[in-house]
Amino acid sequence: MDEPIVSFRHVSMQFPGVLANDDVSLDIRRGEVFALVGENGAGKSTLMNILYGMNAPTSGTVSIRGQEVRHFSPSEAISRGVGMVHQHFMLVPSFTVAQNIVLGREPKRLGLFCDFPKMRAITEHLVAEYGLRVNPDDKVSEISVGLQQRVEILKTLHRGADVLILDEPTAVLTPQETDELFTVIRRIVKEKQMTIIIITHKLYEVMAISDRVGVMRAGRLVGVCETKDVNERILASMMVGREVLLGQLDRHDPDTSDNEIAIHVEKLQVSDNRGLTVVRGLSLDVHRGEILGIAGIEGNGQSELVEAITGMRRFSGGDVTIGGKSIKGMNPGQVRSLGVAHIPEDRLATGVSAPADVTDNLIVGKERQPRFSIGGIHMKKRPIRRWAQETFDRFDIRGAGLDTAVGSLSGGNMQKVVIAREFSFETPVLIISQPTRGVDIGAMEAIHQLIMDKRNSGCAILLVSADLDELYRLSDRLMTIYEGRITGEFIPSEIPKTEISYYMTGGTKEAQA
Amino acid sequence: MKGRKLLEYLLALAVSVLLALIVGGVIMALSGFDPIKGYRLMIEGAFSKPRLVGNTLAKAATLCLTGLATAIAAQAGIFNVGGEGQLYLGAIASAFVGARLTGVSPVIGIPLCLLAAMAAGGFYAWVPGMLKVRMKVDEVVTTILLNSAAIYFCAYLANGPLKTAERGINSGTDSVDPAFMFERLIRSSNLTQSIFLSVVIALLVWYIMRRTTAGFEMKLTGQNGRFARYSGLKAERLAIGSMVVSGAICGLVGMFEVFGLHRRFITTVSQEFYYDGMLVAMMMRYQPLGIILMSLFFGAMKIGGTYMEAQAGIPSSLVIVIQSIIIFFMAAEDGILQAFRGWRTRRRAALTLTKGG
Repeated sequence: MDEPIVSFRHVSMQFPGVLANDDVSLDIRRGEVFALVGENGAGKSTLMNILYGMNAPTSGTVSIRGQEVRHFSPSEAISRGVGMVHQHFMLVPSFTVAQNIVLGREPKRLGLFCDFPKMRAITEHLVAEYGLRVNPDDKVSEISVGLQQRVEILKTLHRGADVLILDEPTAVLTPQETDELFTVIRRIVKEKQMTIIIITHKLYEVMAISDRVGVMRAGRLVGVCETKDVNERILASMMVGREVLLGQLDRHDPDTSDNEIAIHVEKLQVSDNRGLTVVRGLSLDVHRGEILGIAGIEGNGQSELVEAITGMRRFSGGDVTIGGKSIKGMNPGQVRSLGVAHIPEDRLATGVSAPADVTDNLIVGKERQPRFSIGGIHMKKRPIRRWAQETFDRFDIRGAGLDTAVGSLSGGNMQKVVIAREFSFETPVLIISQPTRGVDIGAMEAIHQLIMDKRNSGCAILLVSADLDELYRLSDRLMTIYEGRITGEFIPSEIPKTEISYYMTGGTKEAQA
Repeated sequence: MKGRKLLEYLLALAVSVLLALIVGGVIMALSGFDPIKGYRLMIEGAFSKPRLVGNTLAKAATLCLTGLATAIAAQAGIFNVGGEGQLYLGAIASAFVGARLTGVSPVIGIPLCLLAAMAAGGFYAWVPGMLKVRMKVDEVVTTILLNSAAIYFCAYLANGPLKTAERGINSGTDSVDPAFMFERLIRSSNLTQSIFLSVVIALLVWYIMRRTTAGFEMKLTGQNGRFARYSGLKAERLAIGSMVVSGAICGLVGMFEVFGLHRRFITTVSQEFYYDGMLVAMMMRYQPLGIILMSLFFGAMKIGGTYMEAQAGIPSSLVIVIQSIIIFFMAAEDGILQAFRGWRTRRRAALTLTKGG
């Protein structure tokens, strides 16, 4: 067998209060697609950040091409041919595709001036070589997320990487974009002898793309397998240390159509940040005790719809009533006082304060309640801490303590903090957006059950998700949204997933009939 | 902050101060002065006589209040550079009221002067706060510009419409009723009764920032404004409110100068006092308790530095050098803390090994 291209030996990484990697030894072979899976907080990203030089391990060694890495820094990693595409892209939005690709290694004229024609030529050459189609002259801020990801990949390739780390590359992609990405990965591995390490939660992607798979749990590498020898069920149980059977939710299904209407949206019109109308005369009702799912490809007005209903965004036409009261002109605080809790799609930007600790993030919005403050002014530290600890345990938040900054939590645990806070308001109406994005299977299962419990207890829930499986598991009714309009309403058990995508891409019932 | 975290922070602070003093000493030595003598004179200058202790405390109070004014606005995410202007307006407003109310009982007169100072300073901070929150106008730009506007406007008033008719006074407003004045606590020192108010204000600000719901909500607003709005906090009101409180404190500092020392508004009522306090606040990363402690340290250094210069000819600007170096080291606080943690971990590992073997 060839010498491994990357080799971890007894790598451990100790963060304050968290042992993120615990004695990990792993070899990556040249020319393979290696998938690294594990729950949130299992230590996948930490391990790859060590390889990319973002962090130096507390103990253990890393070798690239047989040479031990002594000085950990991204520039060192790049010079050794290791590139990484992060979950959050690191591009300059106002630059063109070509400018972003060459950034840091710009071709110069007379050593001073940027050589723009050469930049284009470099980009076109890369595009031809790797088959990742992009237009060199497009501005990054104006291209889709899928294309931005390609720019990121091309940028790393331009820097001479032949070991490419992709951190949850498909989290932001549509199914079609995912297919295209996989095609490209297969080709560059085959033709260019690249080595790809892909961090992911999605087990079917592991099965689809990888040659080998490593499973991490609680900082340890619990197994490395040839992908062909395993299946999703085996991987899932390795990840969580128990059998996971998605699809068994504790649900009761009484008829809720006569229940009181809790959320009523009528002919709503909402504009996005650019001033374009993206929700166009949308109407819907959510009854108490039911989950209404909104299915759609991202960017069809779902985000703005949710923001309008929760008071985060003004709407330009139509109306939203909650419990019979119009929310026109209300701010988020006023909407909340009508009995609405909200789990936002972007937890890092909206759902938490990253530098604040877990306790602070849990208590926000309740700090003026008499049990937590005297006269709404003096904060009672002990009751707050006791309540935070109870909530922390009840929602099974891991990898942290009450004093840990929320920004250092993994995605799944961060989401649990958001859910714990919002669900503990005990409101009759819940607006939930992308509840399990970037969340591992164990946490996903727990979150789904929590949502279902809320429904069973009589809450009206509006659920927006890009994950069809999730919508099918949870929704009582399902609506498809396309370009800001509802294109169909379904009972999930009565329509196959394959057919619903027809409505998500603009089909209508009339057209099909 | 609690327990170990606080301890580590204080340790990092002590290390920074020590390193800065060492570098300062090296600079003294390089310039041909004896650093031991220099520091001895500095300590003498700050503490050797009651008068000097008084001056040190008075200086510390000013640094502390202005520092806390910076910190409370910073907690809600606004960088108030305009404290100097707010201080001037507070000084002139209270001087005006104090002069007009001559003959009124101090029990009514003094609170009214306090109110005038707070109102003037607070209003002058409300303007940039409002512009920042409602129209996204950068507060650093507006507050700096408003400083000059306030200082020159006050100079115009003191030399024009509000100029006193008293003989021998070239510039300045009418003097306030002597009954309103804060008495000196130590003869010929700058320490006046206002120190008691300063202590109360400092503790109150610490309490608001660290123990109240409003302070908590300000902190979250400063950390992530979108999150604060999403959580239903009155983010805009909190931000503007913190700015108004900041300005009101600055106004009071201006008033204490007038009612403690000058008796009237004069155009040199502050010698960039606010900027000194702002530096202390930045040094302490806007931690109220740290600001209170550091103010005492720098109050002593400022007063002691002047004495040192007079006695040995060592330039008192050395104090500024030391101040800068501390800021420098505090910026590296995380690094220092980490080095400390690493050292402790290694020591523990070594201990375990020894015990194990």
